[in-house]
Amino acid sequence: MSAFRKLLEKSWLVVALVLLWWFASASSTNVFFPPLSVILETLVRDLSSGLLLEYLAFSLTNLGLGLLFAIIIGIGLGLLIGEIRPLRDALDPYVSFARSIPQAALVPLIIGTFGLGPGPKIYTIAFACVFPILLNTIDGVRGIEPTIRRFGKVYRITPARYFRRVVLPGALPQIFAGIRVALPIGITVMVVSELYAANKGVGFYILNSSSTFQMAQTWAGAILVGVVGYFITLIFFRIERLPLRWYFKSGAMAQ
Amino acid sequence: MSTFTIPVVVPGAKACGLSRRARLTISRLAVLVALAGAWQLLYISTLLPEVAPDLVQIVLALFTVLTTSSFWIAVGQTLFGAFAGWGIAAAVGIVLGVAIGTSGFLSRSVEVVVEFGRAFPMLALMPVVVLVIGVNARMEVLMVFLSCLWPILIQSIAGSRRQDQAVADTVAVFRISPFRKFWKVTIPSAMPLISTGLRISASISILVSIGVGVLSQTPGLGRQITMAQEASRWDLAFAYIIFAGLVGWALNSAIAAAETKALRWNRQEA
Repeated sequence: MSAFRKLLEKSWLVVALVLLWWFASASSTNVFFPPLSVILETLVRDLSSGLLLEYLAFSLTNLGLGLLFAIIIGIGLGLLIGEIRPLRDALDPYVSFARSIPQAALVPLIIGTFGLGPGPKIYTIAFACVFPILLNTIDGVRGIEPTIRRFGKVYRITPARYFRRVVLPGALPQIFAGIRVALPIGITVMVVSELYAANKGVGFYILNSSSTFQMAQTWAGAILVGVVGYFITLIFFRIERLPLRWYFKSGAMAQ
Repeated sequence: MSTFTIPVVVPGAKACGLSRRARLTISRLAVLVALAGAWQLLYISTLLPEVAPDLVQIVLALFTVLTTSSFWIAVGQTLFGAFAGWGIAAAVGIVLGVAIGTSGFLSRSVEVVVEFGRAFPMLALMPVVVLVIGVNARMEVLMVFLSCLWPILIQSIAGSRRQDQAVADTVAVFRISPFRKFWKVTIPSAMPLISTGLRISASISILVSIGVGVLSQTPGLGRQITMAQEASRWDLAFAYIIFAGLVGWALNSAIAAAETKALRWNRQEA
């Protein structure tokens, strides 16, 4: 199949849907569903005035820091728990319980108590994202071939080296799978934390405009969050391939 | 220098002294005691915010909450919203997904749209939905549906696209009718991926239904937690969160058990 046809096949539906929305809403007088042209105009206006960009930067910084904490804690704890069997056995019920706590349930407690600043939002995002990463790291460590472990033992390499050169690379594909799961959860919690209470951020923009019936702004904010979320996911899929090149090359993927 | 040992598990090996089970129970209880102790230490050292309850208050709240009818009603409302949205999403997602997945052209066409839908945090649309249909159970079900649809759809498309070459050849050689092929080949081979989609979206359904409650005050666990926090009753909020976790955990285990039972044929190894 030619590249052009492939591109056409992939994009026609998107184009059709956008056009459908554009024309179906073009003469809409319904307050809740403003014309798409108005929504996009609002989006461009608020982006170029810098207001929305500032909010977006605030939200994405929270997301990035929360995710960073989650990755550091998740991988660190995951390597230890996965490698040390007694620890794993003892902690197993607590980990599977903590991961079952619906992440949104913590929003009122953390943000209601610690206020509107970025700190509480980052904690909430980190807590929500840590469990997929932790669980996948544990699974990844456990999935390392026993022969490879025994090699490490036979060569008597130091624990630090053993973790860095044997356990971490072996678990890396699973770890990335965990981060991939954590990413949309993080974005959702980011939005929820701002919709709950904030004075800044994309979620605040959405909430504030809807409570003043500026529906075009509400839609613009929602579209922005969606597009940004989509591109973050896409970018992550690209980045993921770099450190895992050896893994994809080895053909271990069942595709 | 190397006191570092790599745990090697020998199947069937009996540990000496206490039985494995007993040691496991003891170690797990020790963790619980350590967690509780750490909390109490933090409480005494006043590092925690003032509203934080001490251990006794949390334990008491756990029992008090269980005896109140508002708790059970809230659990019911949250589960209803989650289940209704999840069920509709399952029906729509599987039917649409299998229809799309059996056509190569359609599945290539919807790829971008479906990926976008999955990456889209549907709760961002909630303010609009609230204004259009109001704060009620219907809105909650709609939000859960919108969030649960995508994982099920994606897994159903992927599942019905996947086909073993040998199986496809066999179908061609035996000239099996398309209808029969659909029910006997496509659907069973799609089942493992579909059930993964169902499991992923089941946990999303609880997350969204509580999230909607937290944000819009629809009746349910999310609202109870918000109200407890606003009344500075951290002990109650803690109890609600712990039970919300238990509900999620029970749901996950139930689905995992059902999955193992339904898909036993697919689990030759392990």
